Amino acid sequence: MRFSLLQPNKKWLLLLAPVLLSISWRKKAPAPDDLQVPVTYYKLPNGLKVVLSPDKTAPTIAVGVYYNIGFRIEPKNRTGFAHLFEHMMFQGSENLGKMEFIQMVQKNGGILNGSTRFDFTNYFEVMPSNKLETALWAEADRMKGLKITQENLTNQQGVVKNEVKVNVLNQPYGGFPWLDMPQYANENWYNAHNFYGDLADLDSAKLEDVDAFFKTYYAPNNAVLVISGDFETAAARKWVAQYFSKIPSSTLPAKPDLTEPKQTAEKRFTKEDKLAKKPAIAVGYKMPERNTPEYYAMGLLDQILLQGQDSRLYQALVQQKGYTGSVSGGINYLGSMFDYNGPMLWMSNLVYDSTVAADSIVSQYDQVINDVTKNITPEDLQLAVVKMRSGLYDAIGGNFGIGKISLLASFALFDDNPARINTLEQEFKKITPEIIRKTAQTYLSPANRTILIIKPTSAS
Amino acid sequence: MKLFQNTILSLFCAAAFLPAFAQKQTPPAGGAAKDFKLSEKKVQPYPNGLKTTLVHYGELPKATISLIIKTGNVHEGENQVWLADLTGELLREGTADMNFAALAKKAALMGGDLNISVGMDQTTINGSVLSEYAPDFIKLISALVMKPAFPASELERLKGNLKRQLITQKSVPQMQAQEKFYQALYKSGAYGRIFPTEEMLNSYTVQQVKDFYEKNFGAKRSVLYVVGKFDDAAVNAAVKSSLSQWKAGADVSYPQAKPAAMPDTILLDRKSAPQTTVLIGLPVLTPKDKDYIPQLVTNSLLGGSFGSRITSNIRENKGYTYSPYSSLTNRKGSSVWFEQADVTSEHTVNALNEIEREISRLQLEAPAKDELSGIQNYEAGVFVLRNSSPAGIINQLNFMDLHGLDDSYLNNYVKNVYKVTPEMVSQITKDYIQYGKMTKVMVGDKDAIQQQITKQKAAPKSF
Repeated sequence: MRFSLLQPNKKWLLLLAPVLLSISWRKKAPAPDDLQVPVTYYKLPNGLKVVLSPDKTAPTIAVGVYYNIGFRIEPKNRTGFAHLFEHMMFQGSENLGKMEFIQMVQKNGGILNGSTRFDFTNYFEVMPSNKLETALWAEADRMKGLKITQENLTNQQGVVKNEVKVNVLNQPYGGFPWLDMPQYANENWYNAHNFYGDLADLDSAKLEDVDAFFKTYYAPNNAVLVISGDFETAAARKWVAQYFSKIPSSTLPAKPDLTEPKQTAEKRFTKEDKLAKKPAIAVGYKMPERNTPEYYAMGLLDQILLQGQDSRLYQALVQQKGYTGSVSGGINYLGSMFDYNGPMLWMSNLVYDSTVAADSIVSQYDQVINDVTKNITPEDLQLAVVKMRSGLYDAIGGNFGIGKISLLASFALFDDNPARINTLEQEFKKITPEIIRKTAQTYLSPANRTILIIKPTSAS
Repeated sequence: MKLFQNTILSLFCAAAFLPAFAQKQTPPAGGAAKDFKLSEKKVQPYPNGLKTTLVHYGELPKATISLIIKTGNVHEGENQVWLADLTGELLREGTADMNFAALAKKAALMGGDLNISVGMDQTTINGSVLSEYAPDFIKLISALVMKPAFPASELERLKGNLKRQLITQKSVPQMQAQEKFYQALYKSGAYGRIFPTEEMLNSYTVQQVKDFYEKNFGAKRSVLYVVGKFDDAAVNAAVKSSLSQWKAGADVSYPQAKPAAMPDTILLDRKSAPQTTVLIGLPVLTPKDKDYIPQLVTNSLLGGSFGSRITSNIRENKGYTYSPYSSLTNRKGSSVWFEQADVTSEHTVNALNEIEREISRLQLEAPAKDELSGIQNYEAGVFVLRNSSPAGIINQLNFMDLHGLDDSYLNNYVKNVYKVTPEMVSQITKDYIQYGKMTKVMVGDKDAIQQQITKQKAAPKSF
C-alpha cells in the first residue's frame, strides 16, 4: 500500500477527481473529434461575464465565480495575500456570517471550495439542481461586499500559517517544485515571489488590506460567472440578472508588466532539505506565449515527452535507466496548460538515489530532447493528439462540472471567448512535425531551462 | 492553495445552521428536488468465477475499465510486506509477447494508461480509454493478468523503486503516524504491517512473486467493471474471448482481523517540528452492522465534514490547524474511526482537549434536529455525486461487493440516512467513539508535547 509523494495540487483538473459527464453530444453517431460543449456567453451592463453550459446528465448544478486576480499580482509587501484573501471570502458577507455560507451549501446537499492560482481566484459549489437560485444568491451576496472582523482575520491567519506548515515547512520536499521553481526560474517579482507567503507577511495583514483588496479586484467587471449542469437557460438568465446586475463595477488598476526577460543561459540551483532523505531534481523550461503555434506544439511535446508511461522521458528515466520510479510534471503545476495567463514553465520532477549523479539525469533530458528534434513522425503526432483529446474529455468531465467551468472561465477571462473550448483540438491538429522540431529546438534548449536539485541534509 | 485540503468528496457537511439575524436576508430556498435514479447495472457471472458489471453512464465518449482482484497486502506473510506491491510492479512489465514499452504504447493509442494499484484488500488494474477501444483495453488487461512474463531482468530496478519509496514515505509525518496507529490496533496482523524493512525488499525473488500470483490471482476473486459509454456486445465478446478463459484460482479468502481498542499515547519525536501530526482513534462498527449508516452520519456531524463540530472548533474557531478531519476506514471485516490533524506544535494538547470536549458534548447531549437534518441533506447530496461519475460508480459498487452488501444498501441508503435520529447519534458516540479508549499517536517535537502534557496533568479539567 503505497502513496504518491511530491504531487501537491498538481494537475487537479486532469487527475484529482472522478469524472462527471457534462458534455452535450450530437445525436448522430459521433466522430471522435465532434465534441461540442454548449456555450452561451454574454455580459451584464456592469461588466460581469456570464457563461451558461447546460447538460442533463445528473440532477446537479455547478456554479463557479472566477475573479481575474491571482497570486502573481498580489501586493509586493504582502506575499501570500491573494490566498489569505481567498479564505476571507468564507468568513462573512452582508447576509451570511462566518460559517453560514459553508453551512448553507452543505445543508442543501452541496459541496464547495475555492482556490488561488497564478492568474485567478475561484469559488465554486456543486449542488442539487433545484438549488441553483440559492447558489447564485449566495455568490452575489459575497460579491457585493464582505463583513470581516479582526477576530476572523486572526483566525484565518492561523489557519493559513498551518496550511503552509503542513504543505511546506513540515513536509519533506515541501514546496518542491511547484512553489520553489517559479522563484528560481523567473526574474520578474510578479512571477518569482513566494506566493504561499512568508509567515511574517501573513501575520502583518490587516483588515484595511482585506478591504482594499476586495474593493480593487472583487468587482463584477473583473469576474466571470459560469453555470454548468441541469438547469434551464431562461431561468438562469433571470436569476443572474436579478442577483448580480445591481452590483456596481469598479475602476480596475492597470495590469502590471508580467514579462520575463529572455533567458540566455542555463540556471542551476541546489536547495537543502533537512526533512528529505533522497535527492530530487526538477527541470523547468520557459514556455512560449499562450495561443501561439509554439504553445500548442509544447502541449503536444508534453504528451510525447512526459505524459503517460509511453512517454519518452518515462521510458528513458524509469524503464531504461532505472533512475527513478516515476517522473511527473506538465505545464502549470497548479492547473493545466489552459488556465493561466502569463509566463509559465514546462516542468518535470523526480526523486532519485544519491548514487546517481544529477548530470546523468540531465543528460537523459538532453538526449531525449535532441532525439525529438530529429525523430518525430506524423504517427507520433497522431498519438499525442489522441492522448490530448482523451485528457481533455477527462478535464471537461471532471470534478462534477468544475473541470469544464475552469476551462470556460479561463477562456472568458483571458481571451473573452469561452467557445474556445470547442476549437482546442483543431489547434493541436494544425501542428506539423516541422513546428514541433522548431519549438523543441528553440524552447527546450539548455539555455532556456532552470534546474533545481534538492539536497537532503537529514541524518538518515 | 485551496481553501480546504481534502478532495471534494471526502469533505465537509453541515452542522448547526446558525439562525440568521432578523435584518438579514435569507437565501431563496430553490424549487422542488428532482429525482435521482441510480444508473442500471448489468451483472454477468462466468463459469470460471469471474463476474462483470457493466453500467452505461453519461455521454462523454470514454469508458472506465477496472479489473478488481480480491488480493493485496492482506495476503502477504509476516516477512513479505510489500510483496503484493512488487507483484503488481512486475505484472505491469508485460507478457512474453508484449513488453512494457509495447503495452504502454498500446494503451496510449486507446487514449489511456494501464495502471496497477495494490491496496490492503484489493489489487486494481484499470484505465480510462476512448469508448471505441473499451473491448481492446479489456483484452490488454486480460493478456497481462493471464500471461504475465514477470521478467527477472526488471526485478532489481523495481525493488530499487520500492526501496526509494519506502525511505521517502517513512520521512512523511502523516505516514509515520499511520504506521504507529495501525500497528497499535492490528498488532502483528497484516493490517498492522504498513512498511517492510529494506532487508525484506532485498530478499524478494521472482519465484516469490510468481508464487504470490499463483496463489492469489484468478477469476474467482475478480470483478471487471466497465462504466461510461461503450458497446455492450463488443465488450461482452471481448470478455468471452479473454478473461472468461482465465484460471479460476483460489476462492475469495480473507483472514479474520479483529482489532482491539488500545488506549495508549504514542509519541514519535520529530525535533523542532512546527506542527504535531495527531492521529487518534479506535475500532468501530463495520459496513455489515445495522448501525453503520447511523455511524456514518455521526462521523459527518462530529468531524467528517467541513461544517462538523471538531473542524468548526479547532480550525474555524481556534485556528490550531488547517487540515483536520475524521474518517471511517474499512478493511475487510473490520473498521476504524480516527481523527487526524496537523496542529501547531504549541497547541497540541489544547487541540486534543477540544476534540475530547466535542466528543463528550455529543455523548451527553443529542444534537439539535436542525443540525442533524443539515447533515442528512448533505449525505443525500453527496450520495448523488458519489454515484454520478464512472470512477465514483465503480468505487461504490466495489465497496458493496467487497463488504458483502446487497443492492438494498444502495437502494435504501438515502432513506436510512434520514431515519437516523438525534438520540441515535448521541448513543453511537457514547457506545463506540470513546475518547478514553483511543490510541493517540502524536508525531512532533516530543519535548514540547511532554511539557504540555505535564502542565495539563497538573491543571484541573476545565469541562
